[in-house]
Amino acid sequence: MIRFRGVSKRYPNGVTALRDVSLSIEPGEFVFVIGATGSGKSTLLKLIYRAEVPTQGQVIVGGRDITRLPRRHVPALRRSMGIVFQDYKLLPHKTAYENVAFALHVTGAAPHEIRPRALRALGVVGLEERADAYPHQLSGGEQQRVSIARALVHQPPLLLADEPTGNLDPRTSWEIIQLLSRINLHGTTVVVTTHNKTIVDILRKRVVELAGGTVVRDEDYGLYTPRAAVDVPHLVGGRRG
Amino acid sequence: MAERRPVGVRPAGRGIPARARPVGRRGGTPAARPAAPSPAPAVRPAAPPPVAVAAARVRAAVAYTVREAALAFRRNGLMSLAAVTTILVTLLLVGCGLILSANLHHLARVVEGQVGVVAYLREGLTPPERDRLVAAARRLPGVRAVTFVGRDVALRRLQATLGDRVALRDVVQTNPLPDSLEIAVTEGRQVRPVAEAVRRLRGVEEVAFGGEVVDRLLAVTGVVRAVGWGLALLLGLVALVIIMNTVRLTILARRQEIEIMQLVGAGGWYVRSPFLMEGAVEGALAILLAAGVLVPAYTVLVERARGALPFLPLLGPADLLPGLLATIATGGFVVGMSGSLLALRRFLQT
Repeated sequence: MIRFRGVSKRYPNGVTALRDVSLSIEPGEFVFVIGATGSGKSTLLKLIYRAEVPTQGQVIVGGRDITRLPRRHVPALRRSMGIVFQDYKLLPHKTAYENVAFALHVTGAAPHEIRPRALRALGVVGLEERADAYPHQLSGGEQQRVSIARALVHQPPLLLADEPTGNLDPRTSWEIIQLLSRINLHGTTVVVTTHNKTIVDILRKRVVELAGGTVVRDEDYGLYTPRAAVDVPHLVGGRRG
Repeated sequence: MAERRPVGVRPAGRGIPARARPVGRRGGTPAARPAAPSPAPAVRPAAPPPVAVAAARVRAAVAYTVREAALAFRRNGLMSLAAVTTILVTLLLVGCGLILSANLHHLARVVEGQVGVVAYLREGLTPPERDRLVAAARRLPGVRAVTFVGRDVALRRLQATLGDRVALRDVVQTNPLPDSLEIAVTEGRQVRPVAEAVRRLRGVEEVAFGGEVVDRLLAVTGVVRAVGWGLALLLGLVALVIIMNTVRLTILARRQEIEIMQLVGAGGWYVRSPFLMEGAVEGALAILLAAGVLVPAYTVLVERARGALPFLPLLGPADLLPGLLATIATGGFVVGMSGSLLALRRFLQT
């Protein structure tokens, strides 16, 4: 699904965000990308949806090297995935329904399909009744759910979430993560960057840890801090690897 | 013990191996449908024929564009108002420049058309003498046509030029005008030699030709024409810059929207179209308003000028205005659109 081959990213201002990162994410996986602020998590995602281009190395998404993808093909790439952001990035003057329908519009869906599909996506995130609310009338959790509905509505094989719970309280965060996890169970590859230790530790998914732009840890059923793994494994059924 | 693994190395056969999820957009079990009771395509209304779908898509796209533009107009009313006003003022400026330029061209044309030689005849020529004179004039090289203008005709013409404000009969009792020959030349350059030759003909008392005046006038109108074009060009450029900046402001106010559109995967034209539509609507509005000002203003101006300066050859409103409006409309449209496109370019880099 996604493959990084010796990827480095150096921003024009001299900051090196990623250093020789190699990484492979298979279809159907659920991956947490963790690390301190500035460790390169966001850059990693940006390289996947081609908001940035690596200075070195290759990024392969869905079998295609997107490093040299011409600009006019970027929209098509983005339509093959759903992206969820910490700040939701909803269009403020559109209702929840319109925000979701908009993403379908963009993909060129047939007009008669848009309404049922958008409503169904809102149903998936449990917001059917709030379809006509504007973003400012929704809570943070609800807004994030709308943005997840938008990311899902065109049924992409890949879902990227950049700190989706960064602005949410623990309870709402948990709901959002459960939602993402449910989506993953239906076959969608999900990549989530996060700071949320609790969530990572409870879910025990694959964890990729970045520090200073390099991958310092990549383990299945991982925990937020590897040290904790010393105590916990025998309680939850042993470590895997 | 923490499980450490060499960076980037993943064991084979781990995880949930690709639940055979096709990469295609609509294939297989849709992920976004966990709530749907059955994985079978639940909502798929009887598929309309492909042509109808395509047509519906086009209609939907147009409707989307128009709706977005209308919405934007309502939402940033003040911004749109500023844009319309700016374009309006610019168009008025350009319009005035064009009116000036067109009238100067017209003046030049009128003066050019009047180039010729007039020979005033001695009084008391007999008709045979007169006919001989006309025939002689016709034979001169460089002469295109010769028309005999009797003194009565000349008087009537003068009266017509003066209009009905002054009745010549009240001013002079007898006709002071002589008979004359109006000699048209083949080329402007021929005026001087023809005039010399005509002067030597018997029965000609005096020769008048606009030669020098015409030369000078043509030189002046040449300059004036160039200035007129330059002015129009400059104003067009100014309009472009002003409109571009105005559009850029409206776009800046909606940068976030553009960013989101792009993140969702909207193509360049999909993002551009609402903005272009908005620019077009603003441009059209400004064009209408400009027409609403220029048409009555010029009509009144010409009317007044005809009264006060009857000899000034102004273009009639019916001759000038359609062309002027067409120029302003296309110009405004082209400039507005290119302004929008240029302003958008910066935001569509990624």
